[in-house]
Amino acid sequence: MEKENKILEAIKVAFNVEGHIAREKRVMITANKDIVSSILLFCKNQQGYIHLNHMSVVDRIEDGKFELNYIIWSPTEKVTIMLKTFIDRENAEMENIDSIWDQANTYEREMREMYGIQFPGLIGRQDFALEDWDEMPPMRRDFDTHAYAEKTFYQRPGREDAKDVREELTKQSGEVIPDFAKKYSRE
Amino acid sequence: MTSNNKDKQTIVEYIQNWSRKHSLFVMAYGTGCGAIEIPATMTSRYDAERFGIRGAATPRQADVLLITGYLATKTLKRVIRVYEQMQDPKYVIGFGSCTINGGMYYDSYNTINALDRYIPVDVYINGCMPRPEAVISGFVQLQKQIAEGTANNAAKYKENLEWYRANQKKIIKNWRMPDYNW
Amino acid sequence: MEDLGIKIIGALLTVILAFTVGMTYGGIVRKLTARVQNRRGPVIWQNFLDLLKLQSKKTNIAHGFMGHMAPVWIIISAGTVLMFIPILNGNLWFPNLTFHGDLIFLLYMMVFGSLGMALGAGQTGNPNSAIGVTRGLSQMVGFEIPFVLALVALMVQYKTTSIQDIMDIQAQTGTWMMFANPFAFLAALFASLGMFRYSPFDIVGAPAELASGPVSEFGGKYLGTMMSGGSIFAFIKLTLYVDLFMGGAGFGTGILATIMGLGILLLKTFSLYMVPVFYGWISPRYRTEQAIRYFWGWPTALGVIAVIWAIF
Repeated sequence: MEKENKILEAIKVAFNVEGHIAREKRVMITANKDIVSSILLFCKNQQGYIHLNHMSVVDRIEDGKFELNYIIWSPTEKVTIMLKTFIDRENAEMENIDSIWDQANTYEREMREMYGIQFPGLIGRQDFALEDWDEMPPMRRDFDTHAYAEKTFYQRPGREDAKDVREELTKQSGEVIPDFAKKYSRE
Repeated sequence: MTSNNKDKQTIVEYIQNWSRKHSLFVMAYGTGCGAIEIPATMTSRYDAERFGIRGAATPRQADVLLITGYLATKTLKRVIRVYEQMQDPKYVIGFGSCTINGGMYYDSYNTINALDRYIPVDVYINGCMPRPEAVISGFVQLQKQIAEGTANNAAKYKENLEWYRANQKKIIKNWRMPDYNW
Repeated sequence: MEDLGIKIIGALLTVILAFTVGMTYGGIVRKLTARVQNRRGPVIWQNFLDLLKLQSKKTNIAHGFMGHMAPVWIIISAGTVLMFIPILNGNLWFPNLTFHGDLIFLLYMMVFGSLGMALGAGQTGNPNSAIGVTRGLSQMVGFEIPFVLALVALMVQYKTTSIQDIMDIQAQTGTWMMFANPFAFLAALFASLGMFRYSPFDIVGAPAELASGPVSEFGGKYLGTMMSGGSIFAFIKLTLYVDLFMGGAGFGTGILATIMGLGILLLKTFSLYMVPVFYGWISPRYRTEQAIRYFWGWPTALGVIAVIWAIF
């Protein structure tokens, strides 16, 4: 755990953020959105974490937040850092980091299209995977994809017995669906 | 009904249909995950070529368009273009549950649910995915229809073009497509 | 008058023979390829079925005049070239318009098929067609050099430019050209690999990269006509090779002699056809520059050796 401790301490000292070691070779850090790019730059330029593995979004609709994850990796240390930050769901906006890693551009375009997160200064076509999309960004959890499909596509009769998989499963296992999840369940 | 159609065929039509039946050029265009079943169908184990089925690389040469699995709205545009570039008589085989009623993507925001609203379908093969045996049985079904002279959906498409276009334009909002003179 | 009638019937017979044999050879190759790949494969008359289907397509699209003319051009040039090839030596039923210098004439005429295809493909405006044509012409530049060197060697060696003369010489001396000038035969054989466009020289069609190349915008009747023209051309090339290097075929005009002559012709052409096919089964596709380098390597060297052999 030496390497993990070393990088965690280095970031903690430099930025005064929270973090812990999740397991071997994995360091989790939660930071404010304003200092995310500084941490990434620090890790890339001074600690050797030169590889951006992945960027992803989780829609935390209950808290009214988007959770953004930046996963970076060092080929020399062989340690993964997962940097997490929360941004507001309303008028979601995040700093553009494609000047640090060029490939971030692709991820950011996908986030912009699928979640409606704006990245000021992001250059790239508005269409990423969808064509001529004029509804709410489809991967947001308040977008009702079933209603949209029913409205847009022709539904062939004979699917009425289609059940909500989650409810059928809970009937079998006796698990209780929490309230916040029920809100977005089909019934 | 079948026997009626058989009687109605002239001898020339009979010969033409016989040759069409035994020489099906399949458009090599995979739209969804089902395309992975096509190599298995064409190669040694199942050998579709013994039915006269072979791949054609361009729509101008092809007779059969296989819609292999889920069809995203973005792909639908390309499928329509491919279909309209094919020369009469042409046939469409809907492949897998997704083309029939959406399959497991029935509530997805970007896959269509019923293929025959957008282009006419001659044969549906169900399954998710259909195995090569099922694919070959679908082709045999199509061959039967061709021999009977009932596989004339291309003419139906031209007759009901407005209805199909309306459905297509409902999905493809920004309609920038060339007109084909078929 | 009677003579002319026989000649016309003979010409028709020749075309029918060339077409049938070319198409059937294609079918046999498909069947054999399937057997090699452990498949049952299509029936050997599958190519006829394909042709019949293509000809009974209800709609056919052409992209302008040249696109319309290209298949016609191919089949006309195929027919024209066929008239100059001696099918059976000294058989009245298969006459030919042989004259002194027809070998040189054929060298020019045989490119006409590809040229017509190139012009037609150019007008379709499909980028794949353009790339396919470029590749085809590059490949032609590749294999024409050993091919021409081989033919020049023959011409120099026997001081004649007539196919009929070369056949007669082989009949008189009793030695096939492939033994009289083996280097010329080898060079021509290597060139034939490129001529028939089986792998590794199928860079023109290349379905996976070019969507069948020059013919990618031709469907229906156009494709069918091109297929027939191509089949006739395959037969022409094989028969020319047999005439030049393997002594030709034919014993006389009698019925038995004609049948025997045809049998021998088929045997010789088929065994010759199997060379590019066999080579194709075991080879993946070359890139264009690899193909040209291949032809300008040993085949051209063999051609040069053949010319030197012929001079001394």
